Amino acid sequence: MSADIEWVLLSYRLPREPSTPRISVWRKLKRLGVAQLGDGLVALPHDARTREQFDWIAAEVEEAGGTATVWLGRPATARANQDLADQLRQARAAEYRQLVSQALQALRDGEDRAAARRRLQAELHRIGRRDYFPSAERALAAEAVAAIVDSDDVTVRGDDR
Amino acid sequence: MKWATRAKIHIDRTACAWLIRRCIDPEAKFVFVADPADIPVDATAFDIPAAELAHHGPDCSFETILRRYDLTDPVLWRIAQIVHEADVDDERFDAPEARGLDVVLRGLSLTLADEQILEISGPIFDGLYEFFDQAQRLGREPA
Repeated sequence: MSADIEWVLLSYRLPREPSTPRISVWRKLKRLGVAQLGDGLVALPHDARTREQFDWIAAEVEEAGGTATVWLGRPATARANQDLADQLRQARAAEYRQLVSQALQALRDGEDRAAARRRLQAELHRIGRRDYFPSAERALAAEAVAAIVDSDDVTVRGDDR
Repeated sequence: MKWATRAKIHIDRTACAWLIRRCIDPEAKFVFVADPADIPVDATAFDIPAAELAHHGPDCSFETILRRYDLTDPVLWRIAQIVHEADVDDERFDAPEARGLDVVLRGLSLTLADEQILEISGPIFDGLYEFFDQAQRLGREPA
């Protein structure tokens, strides 16, 4: 399945100074959850949205005096393709696992539950936006966040886990 | 005037088209191109990378158009926050409406052609404008 994935790649070079555009680009790439293939070379599974996001970042790089090209392609071997997909899946899985422990922590700490739930739901959404391959961790994280309910139900739901 | 943007429009392009027709060019004709190379020479491009009326710095295209045409109406800037969050989703603004509106428009993009999306979404944005206009005048959300 993963062997069929086509990738959109962004190769870019930005002047070292000023640092503001570098940081802005770096933040955007991080938010998109890119696979870092090398210095100034990142990849995402190709779809209309990821392609568009790279197009915008490429335009931003050029506006900042750099150079950038958006590419479509795939690694020469199915194995490398699979590894790339796994790399992204594992990166998201790690984020989901961290979210689960934050959710458990919030239950233990007696933090304001409504606030904790809102905060972690926002984080879940953020991770979901850069999650390109389904993983078991996604469902676990959603479940952990949903388990943060009003204090009355907490003991029952908490004990289920 | 003729205006051109990328085909398969989503929130930013849809909102820009509404804004252009409402505030800049009531007679606007829209052309949707698959490739930026197909933009007609007599058309003004928007929401196409490297175009003037596109994302710049933190701004999405809707915000860029407001700035370039000196549109200072606070109601349009409130709508801009929603469009920004729906499109860029960088939590720059508190616009909880964004996710709902984004899903509605993404759904339309799956079922309708671009021209039809403009027809359907025009009244939606008119309604949003009216809502936030009344909200600002009343100092609270209208009933």
